[in-house]
Amino acid sequence: MIILGIYNIKGGVGKTATTVNLAYLAAHAGYRTLVWDLDPQAASSFYFRVKPKVKGGSRGLIEGKHELQESVKETDFRNLDLLPADFSYRGMDLVLDEAKRPTRQFERLLEPLAEEYDLIFLDCPPGITLVSEAVFRAADALVVPTIPTTLSERTLAELMEFVAEQPGLENLRVMPFFSMVDRRKRLHQELLETLPERFPQILERTIPYASDVERMGVHRMPLLAFAPRSQVAAAYVALWEEVLGRLGPR
Amino acid sequence: MMMTHNYAEYVVPDGVRLEDVRSRLLESERCEVDGVRQITRIYLDSFDWRLYQAGGLLEEREEAGERILVWRDCSGSQALDAMLVSKTPGPIGDLPPGPLRERLAPLLDMRTLLPLARAMSSVETLRVLDDEEKTVVRIELETNRFASADGKKEGALSARLRLVPVRGYPKPQSRLQELLAGEMGLPLTQVNGLLEALEASGRRPLDYSSKLNYKLDPKERADAATKHILLDLLKTLQANVAGSKENLDSEFLHDLRVATRRTRSALTQIRDVFNAEVTERFKEGFGWIQEITGPVRDLDVYLLSFDDYRGSLPEPMRPYLEPFRQFLVSHYGEQHRALVRQLSSPRFRTLLKDWREFLDAPVPEFSAVPNAMRPIRGVSDERTWRMYRRVIKEGRAIRPDSAPEELHELRKSCKKLRYLMEFFESLYPGNDINKLVKILKGLLDNLGNFQDLAVQAVSLRHLAQQMEEEGVATTDALLAMGVLVGNLYQRQQQAHVEFAEIFAKFDISANEKMFQDLFQGKKGQELAT
Repeated sequence: MIILGIYNIKGGVGKTATTVNLAYLAAHAGYRTLVWDLDPQAASSFYFRVKPKVKGGSRGLIEGKHELQESVKETDFRNLDLLPADFSYRGMDLVLDEAKRPTRQFERLLEPLAEEYDLIFLDCPPGITLVSEAVFRAADALVVPTIPTTLSERTLAELMEFVAEQPGLENLRVMPFFSMVDRRKRLHQELLETLPERFPQILERTIPYASDVERMGVHRMPLLAFAPRSQVAAAYVALWEEVLGRLGPR
Repeated sequence: MMMTHNYAEYVVPDGVRLEDVRSRLLESERCEVDGVRQITRIYLDSFDWRLYQAGGLLEEREEAGERILVWRDCSGSQALDAMLVSKTPGPIGDLPPGPLRERLAPLLDMRTLLPLARAMSSVETLRVLDDEEKTVVRIELETNRFASADGKKEGALSARLRLVPVRGYPKPQSRLQELLAGEMGLPLTQVNGLLEALEASGRRPLDYSSKLNYKLDPKERADAATKHILLDLLKTLQANVAGSKENLDSEFLHDLRVATRRTRSALTQIRDVFNAEVTERFKEGFGWIQEITGPVRDLDVYLLSFDDYRGSLPEPMRPYLEPFRQFLVSHYGEQHRALVRQLSSPRFRTLLKDWREFLDAPVPEFSAVPNAMRPIRGVSDERTWRMYRRVIKEGRAIRPDSAPEELHELRKSCKKLRYLMEFFESLYPGNDINKLVKILKGLLDNLGNFQDLAVQAVSLRHLAQQMEEEGVATTDALLAMGVLVGNLYQRQQQAHVEFAEIFAKFDISANEKMFQDLFQGKKGQELAT
């Protein structure tokens, strides 16, 4: 089982679109795939048309009264399951704080799913919080959608520093990639050139800014399911291949 | 999707139209209708139902040009394993390596997979949606047809309806179960539709077995009872003719030969029940079948044992044996063609036709042949006991320096004894005969080894000579075959050494008592008169 955290300190960078589309591609290729929607805004749950509700909420899970399996929902796509978000996730930091070894909690919760899934995607809320730290500990890799702006450069540096300094994260691979790229903007073009020099981990493939991505909200399904021949769909396919390649042989 | 689901499957009974069921569902549920899919499923098993006997059902499922083999439990309700294949598999070697092949190979051994029946289904899926327009349960409406393996029989099967649950949505599933079973009164089924197709094609599991399958009445006249036995053997023989001609696998010919050998043995050993002229004529006829089927069987045996032969050689010599394999393969086609000619000949056809006519004809009201009108139990007691005494006498006479012929004779007697006990098994209560057959088998294995090894050694030598004459014998191949011959003689020697001990284990008073109780008991005495 491989766990991928889809994460950025900043919000609004395309995390959910990345999660939903890459998970769809993985499932489509035959990997038994699960998406855990950790964001109380419940955007992934919305795209998969699943009501955001988890038995016992975050407290029930962290305190061990409920298991993740109880709340798994099969999506309308083969091999793809979802753990929906829950409104209570907005207070998850507090619940984690009260638990023993808070940053190890997700590892514990996900362990029983190892037999059932090949890949688990964690759709994370923004910010550096106990939730994100627990994600870092549980994940094999972080996929970091990054809009090519100056602010993104700073938050990426912040993330890299945090991962480097935090004990126990030596094996965590960080894979930033450029998201919502608008090639008409000069700044975007410039940063596409210069940022990889500073952060060689940045993936080569990029996802363009596209209205098709926004239309996911209308169709309420992964972009690959309703516009498989679009340019941005091809970009997600290429990105997923690169991520898989970086993860190494399966 | 990831977990084993509780599918609920219903049969749409006669008199209920699937169309009406569909309308009722569309009325009660918010549904999205998916396109109709065409699915063909093939029931695969060996001729002698080895997979069924192992408690499984192998299904090939073809949909949109994709073929999947699914291994299920014998009711067919649960899938245990599956794999993609590029064509309908025959021999196990057709399956790509993987867990399913590993699972099936030991069950099938040399037997090939045959398509036994076909089910063709049109499946329409109704996706039941919730208020988020999320699929919460799938309803599959299935119309079904069947076709027999040869395509000669076909027709309609009952329509089916399946609820495929969606994980995390148990409520809509139970709601629909109530609607279908309660209000609409559709019966649930656990039986895979493929089994229905099999039955409709006129097949049923275990409808062929090479084992003897009849029940004799101890009081029945010996001539009539013997006809029962022989008729069962004839059915087995005939069931294997087509597969032997097509050479689907080596077991067809093997079973054909065993049935032939048993027939000859019954004709000789169940003595004085038919007119001597008849007995002689058919003994000769079945002797001929044994003869014409011999060469191909020999080649089969060599090819089947080839890996063992190869493995018995020292590692560096193993590749030397390859010309021998090629020699066998190159002669196979020609020998098999000759066999097909014989099995298609008027002589063969007439022989079996006359034989069946004889067996089907009622026995004469009065017969002067000494055993014909006696109760079969009396005859079986007498014949079996006599053969047992002969085995004991011949066995006790064998010394460490006895000639191989003596052991060979003993083996023949043992085999006759075994056949007799098998023919008459149903005349004796409980499991006693089986116990004795098992005990006898230990002895037979030893003698069989002794004899077969010697025969193999001799014929390997002949084959080597033949290879030389044909100019295909390399020095290395001859050397390797020489080692094989040496090994065989050595193992034969070993079997000779072991004989005394094995026979002593057979020749104990407890066994004698068992034979005596069965074949010299009161019951038999009463019936024998």
